[in-house]
Amino acid sequence: MKIKVLGTGLTKFGELWDKDLLDLALEASLESINESRITNNDIDAVFVANMLYGKLTGQDHLGALVASGLGLKCPSFRIEGACASGGLAVHLAIQSLLAGTYKNVLVLGAEKMTDANGPQITSALMGAGSEAERKAGLTFPALYALMAKAHMQKYGTTRKHLASVSVKNHYHASLNEKAQFPFEVTEEKVLESPVISSPFTLFDASPITDGAAAVVLSSQSTQPGVFITGSAVATDTVDLASRQSLTEITATKQAAKKALAQAGVEIKDIHLAEVHDCFTIAEILAMEDLGFCKKGEGGAFVTKGHTKLGGKCPVNTSGGLKACGHPVAATGIKQIIEITHQLQGRAGKRQVKGANVGLTQNVGGTGATVVVHVLQI
Amino acid sequence: MSSPVQIWRQHKTLHNYLNKTGRLIVWTKIFVAPSGFEHQTPYLVGMVQFEDERMPSQIVDCSEADLKVNMKVITVIRKIGKVKAEDVIEYGIKVKPVL
Repeated sequence: MKIKVLGTGLTKFGELWDKDLLDLALEASLESINESRITNNDIDAVFVANMLYGKLTGQDHLGALVASGLGLKCPSFRIEGACASGGLAVHLAIQSLLAGTYKNVLVLGAEKMTDANGPQITSALMGAGSEAERKAGLTFPALYALMAKAHMQKYGTTRKHLASVSVKNHYHASLNEKAQFPFEVTEEKVLESPVISSPFTLFDASPITDGAAAVVLSSQSTQPGVFITGSAVATDTVDLASRQSLTEITATKQAAKKALAQAGVEIKDIHLAEVHDCFTIAEILAMEDLGFCKKGEGGAFVTKGHTKLGGKCPVNTSGGLKACGHPVAATGIKQIIEITHQLQGRAGKRQVKGANVGLTQNVGGTGATVVVHVLQI
Repeated sequence: MSSPVQIWRQHKTLHNYLNKTGRLIVWTKIFVAPSGFEHQTPYLVGMVQFEDERMPSQIVDCSEADLKVNMKVITVIRKIGKVKAEDVIEYGIKVKPVL
């Protein structure tokens, strides 16, 4: 598989009161088309990832909405897979290119979340959970908190291990002008911030974010550049209770195995990764389930600095979901963009020297959907 | 929250879950709630291992200090969420410690 990333477009992530969903979608889309050096007429299809807009505003039919906003009359699709919507859209777009149905496609993820109040957005996000979880009054912070406590009980993971993920990702975000929170935090700040769902404090959680990300993918270009060489999806039960284990995301293992095999590389060959740190425990689980370290050692792996810029495998150089922000359906595509920019050597102050193989991991729910991509130059 | 017909359908199977005992595997105390649960904060929710299945459940009639990993709990029927005066009251399964 060799699908080229022709162009990228990314809005600022944050609380963007002066922009609605379509403003964000068009900004990212046009930037990616311009960077691709193709015209709108060269786009054969549009894939729009979105989870929440219909639920929060009543506006559905986003495929046609975005395409018409761009002046396009080509096929356009809306894709939803909770917080993995963006990764899923990239995967489906790649399948359409590999099938030969299309030659150049635009893949967009956009979300407008900050117009809703706290309980509204918390409830809307629980659409990614199960009915039993909603009846129990669970939230996503609470579901991941249960996973964190299970990991702490089984492997001795500590609050300081969790906090080290937040501290590291805020440091990376401080080097990213597109990040929602481009500033550093201390371990004390993380540990002493208000508890949202024990053992998590506010700084263990990714924020509510507006933003959009877009890429143009092509099956036609043979010129040097960044190529997606592995793309795989795996699924599991929507409800956490029915999983085999509370301390691993099995779908991550399955998707990673397939994507790495497609790319012809092993996890030790990966120079950097963008993973789904919706909560601090999620990055620790990702390190273990992707195979960067042994099961149970993810906390110490992060705390030792292996995943910080300058470490042996920097993770979430964008700042991750935690500090760059998490406009849910845009996240999987922003991850692709961050790795693309790193492999192109255009990541500025957060550039990973010599990077030529990168990986993304995008999770929906508590691990019901996982999408893994491998990118190479 | 659920519609009256959804509540009617779900209430028909509640008895299957009553008086079941299980073990509390892990729990969290929620301070930021979704719509309909704001009035309960902070509240306890745990993952309970029953003989034949694992289930999430609110933990009632106790404080967090009473909880221990692997402690025995029993299912009880309780009101779910907050309803307006004219709404159908929704009931569901929660657990309480067997002390």
